[in-house]
Amino acid sequence: MSIVDALLVSLLGLGVVFLVLISLSILIKILSVVLGYIDNKSDISAGQIISQNGIPGGTIKTESIEIADSGWSAGELKLIGVDEKTAAMIMAIVSDESKIPLSELQFKTIRLID
Amino acid sequence: MSISLAETFFNIWNSSGFSAMTWQQLLMICVACILIYLAIVKKYEPLLLLPIAFGVLLANLPMADLMAPPPADHSGPGGLLYYLYQGVKLGIYPSLIFLGIGAMTDFGPLIARPSSLFLGAAAQLGIYIAFIVAIILGFDPKEAASIGIIGGADGPTAIFLTSKLAPELLPAIAIAAYSYMALIPMIQPPIMRLLTTKKEREIEMLQLREVSKLERIVFPIVVTIIVCLLLPSVAPLIGMLMLGNLFKESGVVERLNNTAQNALINIVTIFLGTTVGATAVASTFLRPETLKIVALGLLAFIFSTVGGLLLGKLMCFLSGGKVNPLIGSAGVSAVPMAARVSQVEGQKANPANFLLMHAMGPNVAGVIGSAVAAGFFLTMFG
Repeated sequence: MSIVDALLVSLLGLGVVFLVLISLSILIKILSVVLGYIDNKSDISAGQIISQNGIPGGTIKTESIEIADSGWSAGELKLIGVDEKTAAMIMAIVSDESKIPLSELQFKTIRLID
Repeated sequence: MSISLAETFFNIWNSSGFSAMTWQQLLMICVACILIYLAIVKKYEPLLLLPIAFGVLLANLPMADLMAPPPADHSGPGGLLYYLYQGVKLGIYPSLIFLGIGAMTDFGPLIARPSSLFLGAAAQLGIYIAFIVAIILGFDPKEAASIGIIGGADGPTAIFLTSKLAPELLPAIAIAAYSYMALIPMIQPPIMRLLTTKKEREIEMLQLREVSKLERIVFPIVVTIIVCLLLPSVAPLIGMLMLGNLFKESGVVERLNNTAQNALINIVTIFLGTTVGATAVASTFLRPETLKIVALGLLAFIFSTVGGLLLGKLMCFLSGGKVNPLIGSAGVSAVPMAARVSQVEGQKANPANFLLMHAMGPNVAGVIGSAVAAGFFLTMFG
């Protein structure tokens, strides 16, 4: 195979990779819109059913219930080289990964390791 | 009595592997020991490098004949590894590994930001650069394609393609691919710092939207249909990858999901690693071509990283600074190592930067991208 042929094959190959992945990205975008619409529609109808059963406020988000259940972490926490935002994120991740609500977890120190 | 003892000792020596060992086999055993050292002490992709290294050791023990095919007159069986190797030769193991990878992969970040797929495509640049250079160096197109796919940074895809196009290069390509994947934290950061400004590396990206369960379930089905219709040759890889992902996302086959991402992938990894290593016999491995493959593999990795980063920079510019270009380098596959490197580099520039989830999108897109690139080569040269 000559270098020119190799160059052409490479351009074609990269073109095919881009073509397939761009097609996929467009399709995902379209699907997200369509499925989002379907999801919203089912959420609204579920909300209507709840409203008809006498619960005020329409739809109930499960996430908000989970957050309310998880409570707060109590006690003193030393932050060494870590800002509050990062510490809050670490605590939330530990709680989520260990499936232990924050109210049952106590953090003593969060230290930045170099 | 003394004569018979000496004769017995002589017979034992003659029938042992020590007397039959060549210097090339001895050298290969040394190579195997170095690889075992790298896997155990340096922890370079130990899950694969350790079985590969031990496979190299086993295949180079004279008279053990573990990779010997059965005799033509069927007077006896072949070696153990010969039979296990059929899974590589027929493309079964890489596809089963993809089933496990699919069951472990979260495509959520990719679905949340579909433009990640562009980065996954750009990071295949190294495959084609290495392909061109390999042709210039005198490799035939099938060999050049197999060498180029190292740049996809995806071991199973590299093994799948090489076993079909240039099986004689399999050990060198597999060892180069897995070694460079292990070295990603050393290869990528200098290129990332060279091609991006500090201001670009500091960019904090907006949190990704939440992806619904329905989207997660539909995604593997759609990808399978579209990619396999466009490139049927890649159906074994993409089909298995997406089946594994459907196991995970459907939530109704927890046992299958568990098996795919634990027991099955572990068993197949043992067979794949050992038998790929066992193809590294002195006659096929100790050649100047092996050194060329190792060098071309590095070139492929470098250019794949460059491709991802350059498109990342373009996306950064077009989005008005909303995309951190560091996530582009994660498009080289090597899940999740490359995404972790983006996270580490981003956080070095700005400690409040959390790029991991953003980098996972291009990272898993790279898996699809390298499989598509392999499918293209199979269509062209298979």
